[in-house]
Amino acid sequence: MTVDILSSIKGAKPSESVNKLFDVIKNANQQNNSNTTVHNKVVSLNDLREDVVVESSAIEKEIIKENFPKEKNGFLVVAKVIED
Amino acid sequence: MSQIRKIHTQLINKEISCTALVQEKLDLLQQNTFNTVNSLLEETAIKLAKKVDAKIANGQKIGLLEGIPFGIKDVYMVQGTYTTASSDLLKNYKSAYTATAIQKLLDAGAIPLVKENCDSFGHGSSSENTIFGAVKNAVNPALVGGGSSGGSAVNVAKDYTIFSIGGDTGGSIRQPAGYNKVYGLKPTYGRISRYGLMSYASSTDCVGPIAKSIEDIRIVLNIMSGKDVKDQTTYKSDKIEKDLNTSNIKTVGYFKNFIESKAISKEIKADFLATIDKIKAKGIAVKELEFFDSDILVSTYYTLAMAETASNLSRLDGTNYGARIEGDTLKDTYSITRSEKFSEETKRRIVGGNQVLSQGFSDEIYLKAQDVRNQISARFTNDFKEVDIILSPVTPQNPPKIGDSLKDPLAMYLSDAYTVGFSLAELPTLTLPKGTNTGLQLTADKKNDAHVLQFANLLNDIL
Repeated sequence: MTVDILSSIKGAKPSESVNKLFDVIKNANQQNNSNTTVHNKVVSLNDLREDVVVESSAIEKEIIKENFPKEKNGFLVVAKVIED
Repeated sequence: MSQIRKIHTQLINKEISCTALVQEKLDLLQQNTFNTVNSLLEETAIKLAKKVDAKIANGQKIGLLEGIPFGIKDVYMVQGTYTTASSDLLKNYKSAYTATAIQKLLDAGAIPLVKENCDSFGHGSSSENTIFGAVKNAVNPALVGGGSSGGSAVNVAKDYTIFSIGGDTGGSIRQPAGYNKVYGLKPTYGRISRYGLMSYASSTDCVGPIAKSIEDIRIVLNIMSGKDVKDQTTYKSDKIEKDLNTSNIKTVGYFKNFIESKAISKEIKADFLATIDKIKAKGIAVKELEFFDSDILVSTYYTLAMAETASNLSRLDGTNYGARIEGDTLKDTYSITRSEKFSEETKRRIVGGNQVLSQGFSDEIYLKAQDVRNQISARFTNDFKEVDIILSPVTPQNPPKIGDSLKDPLAMYLSDAYTVGFSLAELPTLTLPKGTNTGLQLTADKKNDAHVLQFANLLNDIL
């Protein structure tokens, strides 16, 4: 898939400046040393948050509706879906 | 001197009223020509200030942060306020909830005045990538304010806010703090909850304070820190005490290759080395360290940050919130909206991110960058067995003129050479506005944020 499709940006093309950055990484020395792997982002199973449903407040719901881009006759309107 | 303590004393001694203070700052923000303001929170601020005055008039005690006016980078959710990320796509977006870090400050009684200008979605190092006009440098308005938290740093420097809350993914607090000669801290990753901070690159995004003294940084950091169930990367941290004992800092290191690089200006190099001499004269051992080349650091950072931002920003498609431009089909609607409403820099980063994540490229770029990141972290772990603090310049060059960074994205990326390594390794790093024209960075090992503040106090005495 091309980057314009992947990015959902019409006519998007890779940038020369960014490609220069990627070239540096491609040419970097790699040390496949498992000792250097960082595991600190792992969340312990004993430390997971409660699996509970938290009801949004009335004001939250109000703002979420206000943020919706299109409204017609009291309904929130989504973009037209046409199957490819 | 602590601005927070000074104002607190003036308030309790009834030398000033909170309402007058807040109104004065709002007026300054409103009239300012530095393009630091995305929106003012006038009504709420005055209402809160009147409550503080009523409390004082009734003889009630107030907390240290109660009535202290502050600013918020416009990437934080504050319920009911416009939260635009300085972007066209979210120009009319209102936060439905409040970020944890900001809520803690509100609970402590601090008064939010302003949502501050910044690079759109944090994508930039100059605060020019914004729909609200380029932020101007507080010292020389012909130069950039720095980025991405440019509006926040300039507001603090100009005394429009007492402190501001910035966001730092690869240097976005430290660099503008250096450019505008104020203090800015990127704490250890996970010390402050990211819940309610609009995500750029989640694995390095940090919340942090910008202020005019180390004491104010300490006060605000203590309030915002702590474990939060809404951000599972957070950890429980101890309060940093006021008495900052410097006796446990015996050895300071610096990266020789940063200082010997061709990219550093002669002036910054000379000033940095003079600072090193002053530290040695104080009887502190100084050790030269070897580090990764700047281009490896910058490329690793941008590869990972672009991959993460491409994923994080994929939710912005005009369906549920933000601007929507209708096309013939759903997919058309997505792509027209995103093409027209994202800035050129944001599109460049999204496309770059999708390039490195796509099949055939992820192994040789994305996974390799992850490997280099692990090597960088491992190098720091070894370095901190030998030194207590690592000292470095904040930037290799002085702030550029407004307009120059947008012309040359690669030069802008490379200007982050000295800040991104500490972000990749999740280390606490403070900009101290002394030592070089764009300041000094002080870094300690993970979770040793107190050491950074301790050494900053010591440097303040000798520089």
